[in-house]
Amino acid sequence: MKIAQELRAGNVIMHGKDPMIVLKTEYARGGRGAATVRLKLKALLNNMATEVVCRADDKMEQIILDKKECTYSYFADPMYVCMDTDFNQYEVEAENMGDALNYLEDGMTVEVVFYEGKAISVELPTSVERVITWTEPAVKGDTSGKVLKPAKIATGFEVAVPLFVAQDDKIEIDTRTGEYRKRV
Amino acid sequence: MPARLLPTQPDPRPQWDVFCRVIDNLGDIGVCWRFCSNLAQRGQSVRLWIDAPDALSWMVPGALEGLVPDIAVWHWTDPLPPGSLQQSPPAGIWVEAFGCDPAPEWMDWLAGRIATGHPQPTWLNLEYMSAESYVERCHRLPSPIFTGPLGGLTKWFFYPGFTPATGGLLREPDLMERRHQFDATNWLHNQDLPSDAATRRIGLFCYEPPPLQQVLREVAEDPLPSTWLATHGRSAQALAHAQQGLTGTPCEVHTLAPLTQTEFDHLLWTCDLNFVRGEDSLVRALWAGQAFVWHIYPQHDNAHHAKLEAFLDWLQAPPSLRQFHRLWNGVSRPRYEVWPGWAVVDEWRTCALAARERLLLQPDLVTQVLEFIAKKR
Repeated sequence: MKIAQELRAGNVIMHGKDPMIVLKTEYARGGRGAATVRLKLKALLNNMATEVVCRADDKMEQIILDKKECTYSYFADPMYVCMDTDFNQYEVEAENMGDALNYLEDGMTVEVVFYEGKAISVELPTSVERVITWTEPAVKGDTSGKVLKPAKIATGFEVAVPLFVAQDDKIEIDTRTGEYRKRV
Repeated sequence: MPARLLPTQPDPRPQWDVFCRVIDNLGDIGVCWRFCSNLAQRGQSVRLWIDAPDALSWMVPGALEGLVPDIAVWHWTDPLPPGSLQQSPPAGIWVEAFGCDPAPEWMDWLAGRIATGHPQPTWLNLEYMSAESYVERCHRLPSPIFTGPLGGLTKWFFYPGFTPATGGLLREPDLMERRHQFDATNWLHNQDLPSDAATRRIGLFCYEPPPLQQVLREVAEDPLPSTWLATHGRSAQALAHAQQGLTGTPCEVHTLAPLTQTEFDHLLWTCDLNFVRGEDSLVRALWAGQAFVWHIYPQHDNAHHAKLEAFLDWLQAPPSLRQFHRLWNGVSRPRYEVWPGWAVVDEWRTCALAARERLLLQPDLVTQVLEFIAKKR
């Protein structure tokens, strides 16, 4: 079982007899500690997409699927192609890539997820290291990390970083939350 | 808990079960009662299940005794009162307020019904109100139940809000007419409160705002005389605490007896500036059309800061009102004077009136809920 708050793009959950892949999640705080998660789901059997909302602590059955470590090779619109060590190629629909697109770069190691032998999504390591391609100049002397500024990595993904982080710095990002962890 | 018995003949009107768990203060119960009252006004038959109904004894006299037409209040105990489901079977429309799950007995009952081929009730989760953008994105979305004996059923999320893409706000059909006909001087006289036309009135309903003492002192120094009307309980205690240690000319302060929901509206309509808190009283302050300041429910991770800023954005609050809100809520600290003077507060009233005009163009919450239910049933 997994609670809604823990779901990430690429996870597959059961709804009745329908396996559904999570395409996108959006967490929101309500009042008094209550929180909700908006999910964009796609049924694996008929490709029907749907949007639902759950309480953050709603339980759901996650399907543990086969996974294989692969390397991202290239994009053949609309499929992302990954390759295993035996040079087998697996195609994943762009829509199913979810947050992975925020961090994807050539040669990146990912886990390709399979449902009934078909590659359906990829899962990322929990953290990745990326170079900052744009941010405002660093602020000297600020090492507290409490105040954040926007920064971009090569994919265009924006991440909030402390004021002391400068362009061309390499940082570690938590792929589960999209948050800055530390400067490498 | 006295419970009103339903008639033995089948009631042809749509039947509603509304579930409310009181977390703290009066917001949950205030919102739920106004919601039920709105439904009853529009020909619906409502049963309110509430775990801590005591506040209704002063908030809505007669409610607990079943004297309010078309609303029955049931004490939601754990477990439920023996025989309550047999005495009055669950309704066809369920509303769980703020994500409180109905009691396990209800879930078992529903699972049994589904197993024998009956349809599920139309089941809404009436959520917290916010001006944040996620409300528009989540409003009216289905919420499948993924696991357990009710797996496969669907609830629907319904979000009150401030824009046409949300569920709107609670507003009785006759509210603005009553507001228009209200006589403040007469009301003050009936409450044994001074009604000097030259004196400004400030209504206080709050938690413990950090700058309360400073505001109290600075308002007392304003050239225009003011009277504070503090609601009973937590607000009055906060005010009494803030008064301690103040020197010089104090403000005139009156602590009010517990007010019914109707009388609380009258207080808001009477005051030139209303300090309100939580969810229900903010909505009532908007309908009052007077200057107001919102004390938002504080959350430990400061999630309420974003909620407050989103509301101020929607309100199109002028800089002075934004600044005062941030101070009042402890988001920022005062460096100089906090009180901006009555001329500025009058500008806040202009902002409040414009916001009310925008809201009056939108359908109210219960109108939208009824339309939604009609489509789903």
